[in-house]
Amino acid sequence: MSTQIACRQLLELISGYLDEALPADTRAAVEAHLSGCDGCSAVLDEFRTTIELTGQLTEAQLTPAQRDTMLAAFRDWTGS
Amino acid sequence: MELVERLTPSMRRVARMFVSSDAVADEAVQEAWLGVLQGIDRFEGRSSLRTWIFRILVNIAKTRGQREARSVPFATLAGDDLEAPSWEPAAFDSGGHWSTLPFDWRGLPEDRVTGNETLRVIGRAIEALPPMQAEVIRLRDVSGWTSEEVRNALELTDTNQRVLLHRARAKVREAVEAHLRSERE
Repeated sequence: MSTQIACRQLLELISGYLDEALPADTRAAVEAHLSGCDGCSAVLDEFRTTIELTGQLTEAQLTPAQRDTMLAAFRDWTGS
Repeated sequence: MELVERLTPSMRRVARMFVSSDAVADEAVQEAWLGVLQGIDRFEGRSSLRTWIFRILVNIAKTRGQREARSVPFATLAGDDLEAPSWEPAAFDSGGHWSTLPFDWRGLPEDRVTGNETLRVIGRAIEALPPMQAEVIRLRDVSGWTSEEVRNALELTDTNQRVLLHRARAKVREAVEAHLRSERE
């Protein structure tokens, strides 16, 4: 029999669940809980959406001055 | 060159966690790239190239931090809220189940949820995180690194990586929710 988990515990496991990093029995308990819990299913979907949106951000750009200094230093070392 | 441009912004932020100024962080990054060039023949492909580069950087930055007598406790970098629950305890009954259901975004128009304003909210929420939480979510969810790469690059345990990422994601999710609620009112 798999252990039952409460909503409050489930919320701590969401990232591990989405990353497929949970042990099999914990994963099964999470899935059993989600199938019967609207509140936690909503939060899981919101985590998914948040992660997807975060992925649309671009990596912070260097300001041109900093980037040029860095690239110039790099060219010096490589002698190109 | 492309790799230098792509990795340097996160390298500067990571170096800055261990040293006292942006200038010293920049020196550490330059020293790391020099080390990469000199040592590239020794790169054996046991980790990804970017992980290997970050390990060189973290070593250099930590050494420089020690030289400056600046030792930063892990809790300062990671945040002091790693043990805290992801959710207001008041939302649950004594058995740990929802006492009131959480605000559900799913009925909202999609363009509102996925609009540019939401992306700006996410960007600001990440900026506001403790440095290590911010860097883990950037590398994982913005740059698409694997958990193993992040763990090795930043010298984190498996558990720390997961907890840092979860705290970061939970706070970003919360910021998006606050933004969507305020727009609705």
